[in-house]
Amino acid sequence: MSANTSRPGPGEWEEAARLLSRTARDLPPGRHEHHRERLMAHIEQAQRTQEISPRPEKARRFRLVRPAIALPALAAAVAAAVIVGTALTGGDGNGDGPRRLATGPALTTRIGAASPNGVGRLLDQVSLVAAKDDHPVLKAGQYVYIESKAADTFVKNVDGRVSLASHALHRRQVWYSPDGTKGWLIDPAVNDSPEGETLSLPDEQGNTPVAGLNHPSYDYLAKLPTDPGALLAKIYDETRGQGNSPDQEAFTTIGDLLGESYPPAALTKALFKAAARIPGVVTVNDAVDAVGRHGVAVARLDETSGEREEWIFDRTTHVFLGQRSVQVKRGRGAEELVKPGTVLFTSAVLQRAIVDDVKQVPARTS
Amino acid sequence: MRARLRAGEPAAFAELFDSYARGVYHHAFRLTADWSTAEDVMATTFMEAWRLRHRIDSEGGSLRPWLLGIATNTARNQYRSNRSYRRAALATAAAELNVPDHAEEVTEQIDDQRELAVALRALASLRRPEREVIALCVGEGLDYEAAAKALGIPVGTVASRLSRARRKLRSLADAELARPSGPPAAVTGDGRSPAPRPTRAGPAQRPERSRGRREAGDAGRQIPGDRIDTVRPAQEGNR
Repeated sequence: MSANTSRPGPGEWEEAARLLSRTARDLPPGRHEHHRERLMAHIEQAQRTQEISPRPEKARRFRLVRPAIALPALAAAVAAAVIVGTALTGGDGNGDGPRRLATGPALTTRIGAASPNGVGRLLDQVSLVAAKDDHPVLKAGQYVYIESKAADTFVKNVDGRVSLASHALHRRQVWYSPDGTKGWLIDPAVNDSPEGETLSLPDEQGNTPVAGLNHPSYDYLAKLPTDPGALLAKIYDETRGQGNSPDQEAFTTIGDLLGESYPPAALTKALFKAAARIPGVVTVNDAVDAVGRHGVAVARLDETSGEREEWIFDRTTHVFLGQRSVQVKRGRGAEELVKPGTVLFTSAVLQRAIVDDVKQVPARTS
Repeated sequence: MRARLRAGEPAAFAELFDSYARGVYHHAFRLTADWSTAEDVMATTFMEAWRLRHRIDSEGGSLRPWLLGIATNTARNQYRSNRSYRRAALATAAAELNVPDHAEEVTEQIDDQRELAVALRALASLRRPEREVIALCVGEGLDYEAAAKALGIPVGTVASRLSRARRKLRSLADAELARPSGPPAAVTGDGRSPAPRPTRAGPAQRPERSRGRREAGDAGRQIPGDRIDTVRPAQEGNR
């Protein structure tokens, strides 16, 4: 060996550094964002479990996708700085999820009286009205736009101290492409930035999302059978093993399909007709949607959780107003805090339309 | 930032991710020798950081050493034995070199690939503990104390492992230089390279002086410490 190599020191420092500097290669394009989104989804899920959400399964479905922070954290920080002082909580960091939305005490309501009578008749009227809403077919390149208002109550767990809290009533706007692979969401209960976030994302495994009953695209809905019997059979079949009971799960699934979608009228009609065949479905004489509109409801009680899901319709026109979930029996275990009369989730659909691009809002009709 | 992370604020974790994912990925690659495994290790590291957020002190400097420590542990779980690492390293190196001979391929890129293959073979010649310190101190530029903390070992151990690792790399590089145009020297079956000669003035003998010193991150940069050997006697004489 030469003198240079036998003596450790500069030569070796340099050599190691030189070798190692060659191993620094960057992630393939898009992978950084992909992994950040996965991390955010992971955190969100962990937090939700920690919150002992009274309805982990349902909360996810109502809120739909939460594709994590798609915008640079800096932008979010700037936005948060601007928003401070406008009744929003900012990053108080107590882990109660959404950062731009005020939280308050649990939401409550008067529980309407339920009756098994008249369900078939009410749903008949509702489906007749729905069948008349003959909107144009959604074309490729267009988007379904749905604007709603929503609020919810959740169980908050701060260092082991459990309490009930709620997200204030807020506007939610969502855009979906026909195949469901592209979209945009503006919802302060979900987004970190006031601009919202993209829904045009691969899922956690990097696959393009495939539409299904629990995450339907317009195209998917348009292909569903419009015969109520066949439709209901498919729903029971594909939700087997999910939820607290097959009947409740079928009802909930239909509710989710009605809530934030704009399917062809024929399907909406079939969904209502199918719901009429589910055992245990009742009418409720008085229910209020998220923006205070009173109406009648088609509902079903989940015996396991003590929650009743209500689809609210205008008393005279039978137009679908919104839906909510009300605790009518005392909860058990972690949900003991949730007293009867607590509104766990409430929404009101304000507008559904077909638009030509994300973030495009139609002129208000009505 | 630390308080926000401790509190589990998602936005803080997004920031943490944006700041350090790249470095963690580089580090994970050096410890796994496989691009996609490195990606998995990187992703797992941040999920672990989330899980272990309660261990974050409210006071302290950069969280990079902590993350690199988690990444090191995670990478360690990827391979049961050093033999698996070597297999991965050689496979990745071979894949790098196995590029069709396109005329339009830039020479620079081919050089990069060849050099990466050399580096992987070199890393594979090390024992795992040596590779970990070299990746932390040389690859990611941690000082000895931070590396010791990240690995949960004494500072002196970091220094001695580092010095051993460097000598191995140096002798390996000599072997490569001896055959400049041919394929780089393959690592022997058991992954051992010629035993280094014991030395008098190596870093192992003076770990206390190594505290707080930083390794050179890049080849071009001046190497901290390359002057010390000549300057020190005079300084000590003045004390």
